[in-house]
Amino acid sequence: MASTFKDIKPSDRVSTRTLLHEAIPITGTIVSGTYGTFPNEDNIKNFSHGMFQSVYDYPYLSSSANHIFDITCGYSSDSPLFDASYTQNSKKRNIYNQMAQVCVGYDITGSVLRFDEDGDILAGGAKIKEGYFLNFTRLLVKDEIKKGTVSLTVGVTASYSAPMGETVTITDAGGVNDYRVNSPVGEYGVLYASGSSVDSSVTSSTYNAAPCGLVYYQAGVMVLSASLFKDITDGGILTDANGTSEMNTSGESIVAALTGSEISGNADNLRHRIQNIQFNNTVELNSTIYFCRANHNEFNYSSNPTYLSSSQIRVKQISSDEPISYITTVGLYSENNELLAVGKLSEPLKKTPANEFTIRARLDY
Amino acid sequence: MGFLDNSGDIILDVVLTDLGRQLLAKGDGSFNVAKFALGDDEIDYALYDNTNASGSSYYDLQILQTPVLEAFTDNAASMKNKLLTIENQNLLFLPVTKLNQAIATTKLHPSGAFFVAVDRNTEDNSNNSLTSSVAFDSEGLLRQGFILGESLGAGRESSNYIRVDQGLDTTQVSPRQNLDPDLIETEYMIQIDNRLGSIVSRDGVIRAVPDSIDDDNIAYYSFSQGTDQQFVFVNTSTENSVNEVIAGPRGTILEFSIGASLELNTSTYLFSQLGSTTQLPNQTSGNTTTTKFIDSIVKVTGMTTGYSIDVPVRFVKI
Repeated sequence: MASTFKDIKPSDRVSTRTLLHEAIPITGTIVSGTYGTFPNEDNIKNFSHGMFQSVYDYPYLSSSANHIFDITCGYSSDSPLFDASYTQNSKKRNIYNQMAQVCVGYDITGSVLRFDEDGDILAGGAKIKEGYFLNFTRLLVKDEIKKGTVSLTVGVTASYSAPMGETVTITDAGGVNDYRVNSPVGEYGVLYASGSSVDSSVTSSTYNAAPCGLVYYQAGVMVLSASLFKDITDGGILTDANGTSEMNTSGESIVAALTGSEISGNADNLRHRIQNIQFNNTVELNSTIYFCRANHNEFNYSSNPTYLSSSQIRVKQISSDEPISYITTVGLYSENNELLAVGKLSEPLKKTPANEFTIRARLDY
Repeated sequence: MGFLDNSGDIILDVVLTDLGRQLLAKGDGSFNVAKFALGDDEIDYALYDNTNASGSSYYDLQILQTPVLEAFTDNAASMKNKLLTIENQNLLFLPVTKLNQAIATTKLHPSGAFFVAVDRNTEDNSNNSLTSSVAFDSEGLLRQGFILGESLGAGRESSNYIRVDQGLDTTQVSPRQNLDPDLIETEYMIQIDNRLGSIVSRDGVIRAVPDSIDDDNIAYYSFSQGTDQQFVFVNTSTENSVNEVIAGPRGTILEFSIGASLELNTSTYLFSQLGSTTQLPNQTSGNTTTTKFIDSIVKVTGMTTGYSIDVPVRFVKI
């Protein structure tokens, strides 16, 4: 009997998992200076609540603008910077606590843990008590940041007016194998800063770079310690020869800026010093592959109205000629003949009794 | 949709249809791929040139160069023409399904479509001492191609209806020959916009129930020989007569009619949204009535051979 459908057997169906990666370059020109005059660019959105600042890839009033990441900052309540007299003091503490409870979690008493410089919370060690938080959108991060691909270039020159004279490169060095899993939001790695302006006394012997923050791969969050912009004498990672960076036009250090300026002003200060951000994202594709097998004696005729001329098959002159058809489309159907998915070949495939095809139709979820 | 890049390796661009996404979103397991079919929607087999002097390699050169469009996500817009599996590889003829216009009551309206009068007022309002209805002429005869969309049921036997014949439409094979049993259509599927109308038997007594209605409001009806004897039956005629449109061996006949939907029957909303107006002759000789209409298509597909035809239908309301 003539038929147009062929059943898909269990052996014709397989499920797979594939990881896809995209390179995400964010140049410093997007972050500051391209869509207006710093710090009031059209692609930078500040909010009346003042809790964070959003960066778009285009003026945010445009419908084609994409939200790419947020910048905020804060400090722990046990930081020396925590003082009720400081600007937005409680908001900065709240931001720190919010990020810490999401990314680091709680101790057994229910208290929020602080960001740990090397991720070894049990061992105590240095804590990141003040810092910036870069929260990347799902548009960029997708399922997660690929480990070992994070790279930020940040200007650390002491002078505010020429911030990129000295730069440090911040990477998740060793992130591929040397990452932590003791976070409520998945895996994270330590960010290390390297460059001639990084003081050798604080560099890790393994990576020859100084720890300066954390990157949470699945959450898409980067934490940058305030020590990144302070010299050794001030408790940071920069050489005294380089000096502590001036964060704003007033020549304030990061300590003065964190205490004396609003969060939006501190976000501007960081944008002023970002030269480049780059990472690869990861998309986890779960696929079902259907093998559509057209055997030699199958699908050799067509119901295409042009296939016949007065009921005679056009591609035949005599009955013993081979029937020929051309495949352009694959339809996947339910038991009730409902068309669930459709696939198109980039060029027609010639089907005759002398050949067979296995067409591999993959549905990604 | 754009064309697929055909400059390199052969690629397969697969997408879920809108119906597939809907079933997937239900999360009740109704999204289950059970079978596949192959199609050749873009192919024009008239380009097959088996007289090309350069040799057989050139017969299908133009066909193989056909650019292929990206996949449509509308489930009703894809897989219009399916490839067929038939055991016998030595067939020279294949059956077609053909609209029968040889009988007075199955002819299209002269405008080129079946006209469905969606309410009694459009069919015949002479009993209200009016003459503006358009389905009947001044002599009280049902006009060619008009289907009475409201007056269904007994007493409608003489109404117009749609008939589709199947068989080998060739004079090279006598109609006295039997059609290969593998090629006889025993089941038909009819697709109709459910907002506009429904399928009924030719006499309007049986109102068919759709198998399913998709996300685009397309209702799918299936009719089988034996099960639906009012709709599908064997064409026993073996002679060429004025009522036959299949010149060679004959298979089955599908007969049906169309009932107007309640929405079209009671409201002009869809006519305003989807339709337009035209002038149609009414029951006063030489006079016309401004009539609202919606043009649509009823698709009939043979489930055995996959051959399908589109029947143009115009729903009208005065």
